[in-house]
Amino acid sequence: MRKFRVIPLVILLIALFAGSVFAQETVKFGLVAPFTGLGSILGDYIKEAMMLAVDEINAQGGILGRQIEVIVYDDEASPATAINVVKRVIENDKVLVCFGPNMSSSVLGVHQVALENETPMLVGATSPSLGFDQLGNPWVFRLRADDTVRVENQAEYAVKVLGVKRPGIIYGTTDYCTSARDVIIKKFAEYGIEPVAIEQIREGDKDATGQVLNMIRAGVDSVMGLTHESEAAVFVRQMRQMGLDVPIVGFTAWGVPAFTDLAGEAAIGVIAVQSFTPEDPNPVVQEFVQKYVDRYGRLPSDPGQAYYDGVYVMKEVIERVGSFDKHAIREALENFSGYVGLQGELVNDEKHNLSRFTLISEFLGDSWKIIQKY
Amino acid sequence: MFHMVLQNSIAGMAIGLLYGIIGIGVCLFWQTTGLINFAHISSAMLGAYLFYTFNVMWNFPIVVSFALAIALVACYGIFILRGVVHKQIMKRRGGRLEFIVATMLLNTFMVNLVIVIWGGVPYPFPRIFGSPMRPLRIGRVAVQHHSLWVLLFVTALVIGLNYFFKRTLTGKALRATAQNRDTASLMGVEVEKMTSLSFALSTGITALAGILLAPIYFVSVELGGGIIGIKGFASAVIGGLTNPFGALIGGLLIGLAENFAVFYISSSYRDVITFVLLVFFLVARPQGLFKRM
Repeated sequence: MRKFRVIPLVILLIALFAGSVFAQETVKFGLVAPFTGLGSILGDYIKEAMMLAVDEINAQGGILGRQIEVIVYDDEASPATAINVVKRVIENDKVLVCFGPNMSSSVLGVHQVALENETPMLVGATSPSLGFDQLGNPWVFRLRADDTVRVENQAEYAVKVLGVKRPGIIYGTTDYCTSARDVIIKKFAEYGIEPVAIEQIREGDKDATGQVLNMIRAGVDSVMGLTHESEAAVFVRQMRQMGLDVPIVGFTAWGVPAFTDLAGEAAIGVIAVQSFTPEDPNPVVQEFVQKYVDRYGRLPSDPGQAYYDGVYVMKEVIERVGSFDKHAIREALENFSGYVGLQGELVNDEKHNLSRFTLISEFLGDSWKIIQKY
Repeated sequence: MFHMVLQNSIAGMAIGLLYGIIGIGVCLFWQTTGLINFAHISSAMLGAYLFYTFNVMWNFPIVVSFALAIALVACYGIFILRGVVHKQIMKRRGGRLEFIVATMLLNTFMVNLVIVIWGGVPYPFPRIFGSPMRPLRIGRVAVQHHSLWVLLFVTALVIGLNYFFKRTLTGKALRATAQNRDTASLMGVEVEKMTSLSFALSTGITALAGILLAPIYFVSVELGGGIIGIKGFASAVIGGLTNPFGALIGGLLIGLAENFAVFYISSSYRDVITFVLLVFFLVARPQGLFKRM
């Protein structure tokens, strides 16, 4: 009997030993993104783009000789779930860096975990309230341009290129929409322009006749769209129906397939702020798109590019500091510059935004044409 | 200015008709069971998603998709009765309160089930009711083809239901069951069968409403979890809960009030007006606009 007890013990020891050897050879990256729930499609885009970068790096020998191991959790696009999975990925799995969450409200709920455990957190969420100036958390960095930057670019384009004088604003009720409204009104004021109609549409509303008629009454010469995708589709359709024929410059939700699919032909001619488009002629982007399509059989989408860049930024940072020390990595991120990714050169600014990259594009019916890059 | 007011009225009526058609389902259920089904609106969502699956994903003909979607949702109604009411609530001697709680939770469950199966991203509805980009133009006023279709369906539905409840034996038996189960049973009405029928009828009609709503609401979980369910309920309450025609008028009233609130007051007050109307009717005229049918 006795030797039968010894055998499992030996196996166990070997397994433990092998495990520790294996663990020494990998570097753990955590990913927290929505795979179920209302934002479920984003999780797939994020994971696919991130895995593409990880596999490329692993194929070339990893980082400082270690292979990257990605531990993925689903936050269900819910702050309540995010806190559980972020705790798990940082405290139990002890990852070197946590990618995500991607939703601003989730990041607000969990950033403290990154601070307490002194673990870098690279997020794709874009609310201005996550900036270092607001949050004061030295461990949180942002991989995309924040909404303030993007709305300011939207206003700048409208004034300088389109020459608008009497803009109308349509906005929703969430934080995303109302903070964008405040920023755009302020930016217009800098140019001495006051919007002639400021109309609100509640999320879930399917009729915007009143709002469109108010814009016609006010005599707007352009419409600034600051709503979510569904309301954007409702508004644009009814604008076209009622013959309000002025340029439309929309915020980020107006530049994604979720909007153009719903709005159909009404979306043609809409100009929108984007973080990424597969049509970007930049050779770096085209190479990424090609690899992505070859592997997954579909086009990449925002915010995938931010996480792809994020993985390479981490590689760059770890190689620069030459170790896996979290404090050294954080400091290197703080002073990060000099890496050119899909979003141009990534430079960390005082708000901990690694990117200010913004595109202004026009929808042509089946693709986007880039008009301007910021 | 006049054409703007007219345009606003027409758009208000178009959306109001949709609230009304949801209200009709609420009325029908109340009329035949004396209960409010809080999972009511999930039938609309299911109707729209099933139609989309049959017609767009599997390329079934429109009429077949229509019939299949409505029939399946009617079966879902019977499932609510057999699976939820009989198996769970009556066995445990639950009453109205338990039914309300159970159906509320069932609705949440259905919304999440839809997200798991179809994902959370809304789908555009096929243009079977005409293109939204080319509305009918009368002078300077645009009327959606879709609105005309809705009007047609709703009129047919109200006339049909009226005939069914007043002229046919089954309809009369349904009303008798609603008024007094025991007496109806003594009179030879098959009460169980009638209850099944009323569940199937109200969910089936709501499924039809869901398909009619989808060109405006898109095929999205908003149909099952959004404010449309509350507005449909408000239409039914304003109309008096027992009169499908009243629910329709209630819906029109809400649609018009909302659109004129946006036009004359502010777009932020759009939803407030629905609840002001609802509270007003609950306090000042709880029997609704119309008497019992």
